[in-house]
Order: sequence, then structure tokens, then C-alpha cells
Amino acid sequence: GPSPRAAMDLFGDLRRMNKRQLYYQVLNFAMIVSSALMIWKGLIVITGSESPIVVVLSGSMEPAFHRGDLLFLTNFHDDPIRAGEIVVFKVEGRDIPIVHRVIKIHEKENGNIKFLTKGDNNEVDDRGLYKEGQNWLEKKDVVGRARGFLPYVGMVTIIMNDYPKFKYALLAVMGAYVLLKRES
Amino acid sequence: QWKIDDKPVKIDKWDGSAVKNSLDDSAKKVLLEKYKYVENFRLIDGRLIICTISCLFAIVALIWDYLHPFPESKPVLAFCVVSYPLLTIFLVAHRKDPAGMDPDDVWQLSSSLKRFDDKYTLKLTFISGKTKQQREAEFTKSIAKFFDNNGTLVMEAYEPEVSKLHDSLALERKIK
Repeated sequence: GPSPRAAMDLFGDLRRMNKRQLYYQVLNFAMIVSSALMIWKGLIVITGSESPIVVVLSGSMEPAFHRGDLLFLTNFHDDPIRAGEIVVFKVEGRDIPIVHRVIKIHEKENGNIKFLTKGDNNEVDDRGLYKEGQNWLEKKDVVGRARGFLPYVGMVTIIMNDYPKFKYALLAVMGAYVLLKRES
Repeated sequence: QWKIDDKPVKIDKWDGSAVKNSLDDSAKKVLLEKYKYVENFRLIDGRLIICTISCLFAIVALIWDYLHPFPESKPVLAFCVVSYPLLTIFLVAHRKDPAGMDPDDVWQLSSSLKRFDDKYTLKLTFISGKTKQQREAEFTKSIAKFFDNNGTLVMEAYEPEVSKLHDSLALERKIK
């Protein structure tokens, strides 16, 4: 971490500030957080997906996707769901997006679609993952379709989730630096 | 006889940004205490207000999206997401035209001190409230001239340099 002298200097900068400059430091920090937030929300609006970037968490889709791959999704209303395509969906009540392939489609008279999914690398279909009593997924469960991907990049997210102390320490150091360093 | 009426400023002479900040603050002190000018907070306050409003847009987007999950929140999100960069652009434009609307005479200080360099440049700009014409004067000196070995800023060496800049611009004004 920063040497004791460097840390003292940062607080020295703060001590010499007046009210306006202090507020400006806080605003600086808030602007960085807000910018990141706005970029994420902007991506959500543009792609139509509630989670435009997801990380593949398991090896159930190998060799197409591997654990740690980063996927870029879109979820346009008119995208059809067809057997053989890979979709990202969430099971009702669960937070984790799952990336699997559509293997069966059921089209009702009114045009609504029910579909069944299965991981390429899995022995059985996903009915065991769905909600109690649920045998099919619907359009509303779809988070999006993968339009692009980056291998391995998502491993950072997986590591940060497996070691939360590392994530909080990193965020704390970055936050402290922005908050305390006076802009010239 | 005017004298700077504060504790002497002591910083780590190897810390480039502390050196620059103390020189900047002291130059400002000279203008405020010796020449009795009033700091114009309008520019800074304007910037603070624009930044605060931008953050408010972000907060509104966050809360609205939490209460009415996407996709119902789409129109509000889209509005906030578009407004945010517009406000930031407005902020940058505002920065480029500081004395535009001001009817008073404006004195502006700006400085530079390159990383690991010892040459400090202080520039003073005078903007006439009436004619909007600008005149500037600057000096570039080694910081060693202003700090003693302990890192204490020697105002007796620094203040005259700042005053010289000011007086040269003030004199030009009288001659015109």
C-alpha cells in the first residue's frame, strides 16, 4: 500500500482545503461513480437487456464457451427464439444468468413461445434448474442473446466474487485515492 | 506596511504537487490580502452546481430503475443517460469562457509546474470588465528561490514576484 509518508501527504492536501474544495473532492468522486453508472444504464437502454455484459460461470457450454468468458448481449423485442440457438436466461427468483442452448420450442396458438434449454456439456436438460413445477421457459425469462465475446476476461469478476475481501480492498484504495488527491 | 498574517507554510519540498499547491495558494493570498480583491466564486459555484445536477440525474436513474425495474424504466433511464453527458459537455464549455458575462474587472491566476521539474510558471491575466480585453504577465522561476531547506515557503522572496506581476498589469492600465 502507500508508504506512511505518502498517506500523510494526502491528508495534508485535505487539511489545506476550504469548504468549496472539500465539496469539489467529494463531487469528483461522485462524478466518477455516476459516469460508470450512466455508462452501464446506457448500455441497458441500447441493448434492451437488463444485463448487457455477463460472465460464463460454469463449463456447461464447453467447447463453445468456457468459465470466465465475457459475453455481450442484446435483447431486442423482435429477436425470434429458435431451436439450436444459445440464449442467456434467468430462472424466476434467482439472480444468476445461465448461458445454455435452446433444444425444444413449443408455440401456442396465440403466438407465445415456450422453450426448453440444455447445456451442451450437460447430460440432462435444464428442467432441474427451473422453478418448482416449471417445465418451460418463456420470453420474459430471457436476458439476451450473445452478440460478441471475449475469452478469459471475465475471470477477474469470478476471482473478485470468490475473494470478496480483495474486491473491497481494491475499491477502498481506489476510492480513497480519488477522494483525497487534490486536483491541480 | 502590508504583511502576510498567517503561519508560514511548510511542506515536503520533494512533493511536487504540495509545492505547486502552496505556491498557488500563496499567490492567491497575495491578491486577496494585499490588493484586497474578492474571490469570484461564481465560476466555481457554477461548476459545482452543474456537477451536482449531473450526479442527481444519475441518482434519479438509479432509484427509478430500482423501483420500476427495466424495461418499464426505459424512458426515464434514456432521459437521464442522455442528459448526463450533455451536462458534462456544458460544464466543459463553461470552463472555457470564464469572464464572459462578468461586468467586473477579473484577475485570473494560472500556474504550471512540470513533474520532477523545478521551474514554476505563474501567469496573471487581467480582463477588463468594460472592454473585455485581456492582458497577461508571467514569470518562470526555480522553486528553490522560494523555499528554504526545510520546505518552508519564504514569503519575503515570493510575494514581491507576485506583486511585480500585478503592478506591471495595473500600470499598463493607467498608461492606456
